[in-house]
Amino acid sequence: MSVIKVLKSLAVVAAVAVPASAQAQSVEEFYAGKTVSLYIGYSVGGGYDTYARVIASHLGKHIPGNPTIVPTNMPGAGSLRLANWLYEAAPKDGTAIGTVARAAPFEPLLENEAASFNAAEFNYIGNANTEYSLCAANADAGIANIDDLRSKELLVGGTGAASDPNKQANIANAALGTNMTIIDGYPGGNDITLAMERGEVMGRCGWSWSTIKATKWDMIEQGQVNLLLQFANTPHPDLADVPLVAELADTDEQRAMLNFIVAPQEMGRPYIAPPGVPQDRVDALRQAFMDTMADPEFLAAATEAGLEITPSSGETLQEIVASVFATDPAIIAKVIEATN
Amino acid sequence: MVESLIDAFFLVIQFERLIYLAAGVMLGLMLGILPGVGGVAGMALLLPFTFGMDPIAAFAFMLGLSAVAATSDTIPAVLFGVPGTQASQATVIDGHAMARKGEAGRALSAAYVSSVIGGLFGAFLLALAIPVLRPIMLYIGSPELLAASIFGISMVAVLAGSSPLRGLGIAGFGIMLSMIGSDPQGGDLRWTMGTVYLYDGLPLLPIALGLFALPELADLAIRRVAIASKTKHEVREGMLQGARDALRNWWLILRCGGIGAALGAMPGLGSSVIDWFAYGYAARSVKGARDSFGTGDVRGVIAPESANNASTSGALVPTIAFGVPGSASMAILLGAFLIHGLQPGPAMLTTNLAITYSMVWSVAIANILGAGICFALSGQMARIATLRYTLIMPMILSIVYLGAFQGNRDWGDLFALLAFGVLGWVMKSLHWPRPPLILGFVLGAIIERYLFISIARYSWEWLLRPAVIVLLLLAVVMVLRPFIGEIIERRRTGEKGLPFHAPVLHVTDLFTLLLIAGVGWMVVEATGFADKARLAPLSVGFASLAFLVVSFTNQILRRPGRGAAIGVGGGKARKEVHLDLVEDYRGLPVGKIVLRAGVFFGWMLVFMASMALIGLIPTVFFFIVAYMRLENREPWKLVLPIALGTTLFIYVVFDVFLTIPWPATLLGRLVPALQVLPSI
Repeated sequence: MSVIKVLKSLAVVAAVAVPASAQAQSVEEFYAGKTVSLYIGYSVGGGYDTYARVIASHLGKHIPGNPTIVPTNMPGAGSLRLANWLYEAAPKDGTAIGTVARAAPFEPLLENEAASFNAAEFNYIGNANTEYSLCAANADAGIANIDDLRSKELLVGGTGAASDPNKQANIANAALGTNMTIIDGYPGGNDITLAMERGEVMGRCGWSWSTIKATKWDMIEQGQVNLLLQFANTPHPDLADVPLVAELADTDEQRAMLNFIVAPQEMGRPYIAPPGVPQDRVDALRQAFMDTMADPEFLAAATEAGLEITPSSGETLQEIVASVFATDPAIIAKVIEATN
Repeated sequence: MVESLIDAFFLVIQFERLIYLAAGVMLGLMLGILPGVGGVAGMALLLPFTFGMDPIAAFAFMLGLSAVAATSDTIPAVLFGVPGTQASQATVIDGHAMARKGEAGRALSAAYVSSVIGGLFGAFLLALAIPVLRPIMLYIGSPELLAASIFGISMVAVLAGSSPLRGLGIAGFGIMLSMIGSDPQGGDLRWTMGTVYLYDGLPLLPIALGLFALPELADLAIRRVAIASKTKHEVREGMLQGARDALRNWWLILRCGGIGAALGAMPGLGSSVIDWFAYGYAARSVKGARDSFGTGDVRGVIAPESANNASTSGALVPTIAFGVPGSASMAILLGAFLIHGLQPGPAMLTTNLAITYSMVWSVAIANILGAGICFALSGQMARIATLRYTLIMPMILSIVYLGAFQGNRDWGDLFALLAFGVLGWVMKSLHWPRPPLILGFVLGAIIERYLFISIARYSWEWLLRPAVIVLLLLAVVMVLRPFIGEIIERRRTGEKGLPFHAPVLHVTDLFTLLLIAGVGWMVVEATGFADKARLAPLSVGFASLAFLVVSFTNQILRRPGRGAAIGVGGGKARKEVHLDLVEDYRGLPVGKIVLRAGVFFGWMLVFMASMALIGLIPTVFFFIVAYMRLENREPWKLVLPIALGTTLFIYVVFDVFLTIPWPATLLGRLVPALQVLPSI
């Protein structure tokens, strides 16, 4: 009993001590001495986690008031759990931000019942890199370009209908008339690549260029794989001769369908704040994010950790999301049909 | 090859690198003791510190950490029946039984000696296999993985239980549970009941802790005595005895070490099944295991412990040769690889061979160091088992809670823990085998994935691959052997007809009926899924139902005691294997047992209610105080230090170090200012 009394009196003291006038507070006053939680929608050790931890250790000094940034993992439902939580339950004062799957903002459009948020309402803070995703085939499959890909069947590995390897293959089939058959159910991208090496499948999509460079450079060097399609708005400097999917499309409708796959690549690994965070704090977070991306100490740490840094601003991400949300419902229906 | 092996040895034994290796070992030992934390979280958190090291030191550090987490996890497994990591589930069965007999010191020291020999043998096999790694790995395709998983389930399913049918039925139930969540292909949501928690499926941690840790703790609360009333051996004598046990079983250690290394190399089968494979193998192959396994046979400790340490070496194989991590900790090691600019693949076996061999040496040295430290402490550790239950129970229970919460860091973890705790206790009490359930759960997801891949890629021809044929035939033999054995026995004794008697129903049959109803409900629900999403649930569901129904019929028509009494079935019940702990309540009446179990699980509900009210960390403090005072009127001078110490420890590990996102509390909502306190 006495303990509860103590707690109660503590609570009263604390309530009095906290200034009630939040209105007139500047961003710096607000963040001074505070802790900002940076939530990661995945468990420890993956790409999203690595990026977030390196960013977390440098972001604080660029936010006015220099709050402490604490990276916190909240895995579940391919980061949809975190997106739902940020939308519904997280504190909306700018002390909670998160990094979610690049495709998560578009899940509600694709009628994913586990995504219960309106992605257009999030405040996008920025991303540290743009992804360049590829479809590729084993050299001995005899498929070297888009014409071969249209005329011959290619067995590609899949990791589930909602994942990049499946979506990209399905949309390419629907919009570009390619002839890829998905062998579905591999636990992850690495497993597909191993299956390619032993000839169980002959190709894959959703293979990001940064991953290839880091893990399978020998396959490229020795010409074991042909890179066939590039999912991006502008080609990666290394990949000038791999055709962009939009260039291969004939009609606007096809391009709009492909945009569903290309837009998430532009999102990279997005950082978002909940809806309703005061605008001055959102602006400060966006500015701090871009300042971090230019911070030599951060860049050195990123290089040490092998991370590619090609940032986009929060405003850019907000525009990408808006553009996808403006898609004609008839085309969205086609995308849903093609990817299920 | 020998030359690079020697070069690599001198690379590792440089002073600075050895220091990092030792630091990794110390951290790994500490993390392995805490259920739910394990080596994976530790590696992930320490990864950034390795960026500045040279590659060999970085890998020495990380491998040191991951190789010995499977060494120290034996401590809670043996002493409290709480698996410290998923790799020590099987150790609980005989290890904890030994602790109960007052042989904790012997069990621990046998475990460490087998760990070090198994670990070294695994490293040796890895060193030998390196030149032929890639061709072997390229041979193992999806059909082979599928066949190995089926073989594993069949081996454990029929081992356990007074009836193999129960094992098969319950393994089927485990597979069904593994299929909860979005299906691996279409993304159809199966049995999620509208929750986001079940979207990714049930996490393994709360299930493993619920099934194995809570029943032991519940029975401890029911017996109301210390885990071991006395220690059988002097500290030194127990240690020596354990070491002798291990050395005498060196051949078993090598075989299980080989199993561990081979299975560790298969991506997908992780450390959570390897210990069961080894345990199952030992129970099949060592002399007298039928009678002694499950009751505290030291060989039941030696087998899984030698296998799980060897598996680290095995898990390195796909990581090094193909960049496909064989386990969660290897996924993080792969991250470290890339950061240091090393590419997994053929180059690791040719130009970078010295680095690869340096990893083999690191694993070997880490095993010696880790097991040595634990061995030195094992005699003293054993004394903990003789403490009063009210001193250790609230502490262990709090840590089990925190451990389960590592699953998805969600309320759902605690509900799952409670649900599987009750299920585990009922199963244990009614002699239903728990290993097939957990194994079905772990392997079920693999089986579904690779079944679809195999059929989609090879149609039915996947069945014709040689390794598949061998493994599946072995699985069939495993499943049929007990039935054939019974028929042969009957032929020999000249009996005819089936030994049925009029149906007799017991209250305990209710559990079977509930299980049938549960699986039945899942099957009915599954008929509404999309085509691809329901194929596996329906086939497994119907098979599981069939096993359960036959088992139920068997149960009510062929009760051994009843049969003997009315002269059916020859009167002598066949000696059945039951590879699970059996509780001896020393004559406590059933009513009292059920009442005390109710009180125990009631405490858990109080814990959860308090957590919703005032947050997890304050709850730990009040829970320990309340439990110790109310259950046994422990003196305040014991209560306060234990409660404060545990709370502080949990605060540092889980709030400061692991930065867990705590769920919102009522108190925090009412008095937002209090949210500055941890977990409110």
